[in-house]
Amino acid sequence: MKDQILQTLRDLRAYALKKGVEAAFLYHEEDSYLMRFANSAISLNTNEHLIRLEITAYKDRQRASYGLITALDNLDEMRHGVDIAAEMVQHAQPLSYQPTIPVYTESFSDESAYDPALATLSNEERLAFFNRVAAGLETDAIQLSGIFSCGANILAQINTRSEHTQYFKTSDAQITIVLSHTALKWEVLAEQSAQQKSDLDPDVLRRDLAFLVEHYQHDTPQQLPLGTYDIVFGPSAIADLLNFMGYIGYNGGLMKRGYSFLNEEHVGQHVMSPKFTLTDDPTRIETFPFRRDMMGMPRHPFPIFADGVFKGFVWSQDEADEFGAQPTGHTVPHTSVVMQGGDAAASTLEELVTMPREDDVLYIPHLHYMNIVNPSKGLITGSSRFGALLLKKDGSVVVPYNVRLTQSLLDVFGDKVAWLSQTQAVVNTSSSYGARNPRAMIVPALMQVNGLEISHSNPSY
Amino acid sequence: MRKQLQEHIARLQAAGALYVDARWYPVEESNDLLLWNGNLKDASASRESGVGVRVLYKGAWGFSAASDLSNLGALFDKALDNARVAAERVTFPVRLAEKDAIQAAFKSPNQIDPFAVPLADKLAFLQAMDQKLNQPGVFQRICSMTFMRKQIVFLDSEGSEIEKTIVEVFPAIQVSGLDAQGVMHSRSFSPPRMGDTRGWETLDMDVFSANAERIVREMNEVLAADDCPKDTRSVILLPGIMFLQTHETIGHALELDRILGYELAFAGGPFVRLSDFGTLRYGSEKLTARADATIPNSPGSFGYDDDGVPAQNNLLIDKGLLVGAITGRQMVEEANAQANKIIFDGSSGANRATSFYRVPIERMTNINIDPGDDGTLDDIVSNTERGIILDGDKSWSIGSNREQFHFATDIGWLVEDGQVTRVVKNSTYQGETVPFYNSLSAVGDASTWEVHYTPNCGKGQPNQIMQLGHGIPVCRFDNVRIGE
Repeated sequence: MKDQILQTLRDLRAYALKKGVEAAFLYHEEDSYLMRFANSAISLNTNEHLIRLEITAYKDRQRASYGLITALDNLDEMRHGVDIAAEMVQHAQPLSYQPTIPVYTESFSDESAYDPALATLSNEERLAFFNRVAAGLETDAIQLSGIFSCGANILAQINTRSEHTQYFKTSDAQITIVLSHTALKWEVLAEQSAQQKSDLDPDVLRRDLAFLVEHYQHDTPQQLPLGTYDIVFGPSAIADLLNFMGYIGYNGGLMKRGYSFLNEEHVGQHVMSPKFTLTDDPTRIETFPFRRDMMGMPRHPFPIFADGVFKGFVWSQDEADEFGAQPTGHTVPHTSVVMQGGDAAASTLEELVTMPREDDVLYIPHLHYMNIVNPSKGLITGSSRFGALLLKKDGSVVVPYNVRLTQSLLDVFGDKVAWLSQTQAVVNTSSSYGARNPRAMIVPALMQVNGLEISHSNPSY
Repeated sequence: MRKQLQEHIARLQAAGALYVDARWYPVEESNDLLLWNGNLKDASASRESGVGVRVLYKGAWGFSAASDLSNLGALFDKALDNARVAAERVTFPVRLAEKDAIQAAFKSPNQIDPFAVPLADKLAFLQAMDQKLNQPGVFQRICSMTFMRKQIVFLDSEGSEIEKTIVEVFPAIQVSGLDAQGVMHSRSFSPPRMGDTRGWETLDMDVFSANAERIVREMNEVLAADDCPKDTRSVILLPGIMFLQTHETIGHALELDRILGYELAFAGGPFVRLSDFGTLRYGSEKLTARADATIPNSPGSFGYDDDGVPAQNNLLIDKGLLVGAITGRQMVEEANAQANKIIFDGSSGANRATSFYRVPIERMTNINIDPGDDGTLDDIVSNTERGIILDGDKSWSIGSNREQFHFATDIGWLVEDGQVTRVVKNSTYQGETVPFYNSLSAVGDASTWEVHYTPNCGKGQPNQIMQLGHGIPVCRFDNVRIGE
C-alpha cells in the first residue's frame, strides 16, 4: 500500500510538472473505528475509510489549494484536481510575502508509531474492553457511556521541487468511559490513550472509576461557597489548559496578530512558575509525533518554557514567511507537548486523597467547555466536570457540585503552582472533526495551584 | 447508482435488518476564502463524494461509509456487521417513529449559484470588503467567505427516495485593535439573512460598507473605553449575542438525544428531564421559542431531514412553558417509552448528518425566539433604569448540563435612567439558565428580529459540524451579573 501511495504521488508530481504547475501534494488516509456507548448500550458502531488529497498550487506569491475525497486508484480525478488548483492560483491575489515551497532533500518515512495490532482491533475486542472496565460498576441507576475510537492514519507528501517524499503512519486509540447516575445526574470519567495495543489497560480505568463511584454513590454532595481554593488539577484539566496556551501563548503568528498574553519582550524572562517546564518533544512516541514537519525540517525537542523562563515562540513556515521569523519546525498537524513533572509522590487520586494536607483542596479532573475571555490577558473560563472532589483538611472527602473558574493562564501556571506529580500521564487530546489526526500531551498526573477563585458554584448537578 | 443502492438495501433487509438507509452524496463542494490584513491566507476549494449506510439490526445501529464505491456490497456488509456487534449490548432496542414513504426533492432557494461565480469575482468582492476595514485604529482585519453546496440522495428500506441540493453562503468581517494597555479588542459582523434566498445574490456590498464603517467606529470606541463594571443589572442582548445565548441554552438544551443521555461522555446532557415537558417554566411569559425549519433563507431549513422526515415548524417553549424538543425518529420513541406516555407525537424532522461519512443525530434547525410587544430597541432602552446593551459573540462557555453560562461580548453600552451613557470594554455576563430566562422582562418587536446563522455548530462523536440559524429579537433580562 505504501508503495502504491508514493507511486501515485510521483505520478501526480509528473503530471503537474508536465502541465507547468508548481504544486505540493498532501495525501491523507484514515481507517477509523468508533464504538460509542450510551445508557449502557452500544449506541453507535461505525467505521470510515477515507482518502483525501490536498493539492496546493503556487505561482510566485500566489497560492491556492484544492482538496478532494477520492480513491487511490482514481488518478484521473486527482489529476483533474491539479488542473483545478492550477486554474485557481491564476486568480489568487499575491501575498505580501514570498511563500516557501518545501524542498525535501531526502525521502523520509516514519512508521515507528504504527502498531498493526492496535489499528486492526476488532469489534469484539473493543466490546470486551468496555465490558471489563464496567463489570460490577453498572447498575440500573448507574449507566455506562463512552467511546472507543481507534484506527490508522497515513500522511504522505511530495511536491514539484524534488522527487523525494515524506510518509508518516500511526495507529491510535482514544478511550473515554463515563459512569453516570440516571436520576441524580452525577457523572465520573476515566480515559486512556494508546499508541500500541499493549498500552490498553482496562483495569486501570476500572480502578479509577470504582474509586470515584464509591464517593459519588455514598457521599452527600454540596454546593461550594464562592471564594479562593487550593486546586489540584488532574491530567485532563492540565492538558486542556495547556491546549489553550498553545493558541494564545507561544504561537508566534498569533502573537504578532495580538492574540497572545506573551510578547517578544517575554523571551528569556521569568514568566511562569519555576516549576513549569514545557517542551515540544517529538521523541515521545505516545504523542503520535512528527519527527519531520511538513516542510521537511527535522524536529527535535523544542523548549518553550524552562523552569518558568519563556524560551521562545513556535513558528510555522507560513507565519515565519509573513513576519520575517525563522521557522521552528512547527508546520505540523499537531505538536508533542510535554510538561515536566515535579517532586510530589502522589500520582493517582487515591494517593492524593491520602496525602496529608494543611488546608482544604479542591480536586478538578476535567474542565468543560473552556473558552478564551481575553487572549491578551490569558484569561480563560470553564467549568469543573467528571468527578471533582473537595478534600477536607481533616481528611474527609466531600463531593462538590460543579464550579466555574475564570482565570488567567499566567496565574494557573505562575507562582501559585504549589507542586507537581513526579509521574506523568498521557492525555489523548484528539477530536474527530475532519480528517483523523491523533494527538496527545504528556503532563504531570496532578498539579496543585493555590489561591484560585471560583466565580460560580452550581446548586445541583 | 440508485438502483444499486436499492438492491443492497433490499439484500440487507433479507438478511435480517429491520431498517436500512443510504445517503449518497454525488457531490459536496466547498470554497473557503480568507483575507487577513489583505493577505489571501486561504483560497481553497474541496469536493467530496461517497456513501454512508445505516443499518438497524435487532435494535442496534451499525454504520459504515466510504468514498471508494468500487465495492458497495462490502460497504453494506460492514454496516450490517457493525450492527450485529452492537446488538450484543442493547438496553432499549431502537425503534423508529412512523413516517410516510416520501419521494421528493428539495432545493434551497438561490438565484445565483455561488459555484457558478468566477473565483476572480469572489476575490474582488472580498478585497472590496477588506478595503472598507482598512481604517485608522484597525490593527487586524479579517474578511472571509465560505460557500457550500451539497447534493444528497436519501433512500431507505421504507420506500423513501429524496434528493436534496443545498447551497449556502457565509460571509463575515472582523476588525481588531489594541487599547492603551496593549489589550486586543475585536468587533465583527456577519450579515443577518434578508430576502427569501441564500445564494450569491445575498451578498450586498452596501450592507458590508455600512457595517464595516460601524464596526470600525465601535471598535475604536471600545479601545478608548473603561472596563465594564462588575455588578448586577439588566442586560439588553442584541441579536448578535442573543442568537448564541439561544443556541447554547435553548437549542442544545432541548436536543432529545442529549436529554436521553446519548452525549454524557462528551458534551454532556441538559438539565431538562422528560418530566419537564409541559411542566417546566423555562422562562417568563414573554419567552416563546420554536424550531422552525421552514424559513426559506436560513441554513436550518433543508426540506427533509436525514431520516426522510419533512421539515417542520414546532413550538419549543410556549409563553415560558417547555412544550417541545429537537427530535428524530429514534429518540421520540425511546422518550415516550421511558416516560410511559406520549410526549412527542412523531419526529420533528431534525435528524441530520454533516456528511456522507457521519451518522445523523439530532441537530438544531432554526431555533428562533418570537418577536414580542415591547417595541423597538429604543423603546426598551428608554424603559430600562439601569442596564447594559451587549453585542458580539466574543466568547462563550456553558456548564455541562447547559445549566449555567458565561459569555463575553465585543462591546457594551451602559444604560442609566433610560439613556445610553457610555461604551465599556471587556463586557461579560453570566447566569443560570432557568432563572435567567425567567428574568426575561422585555422582547423587542419585529423591527428588532434578525435571522443569524451558525455555520459551524459542533456536536457528536464522531464529531460533526452543522449549519443552522436563529431568528432573534432584542431581549432584556433583569438582575444579571456582569463584568466577571
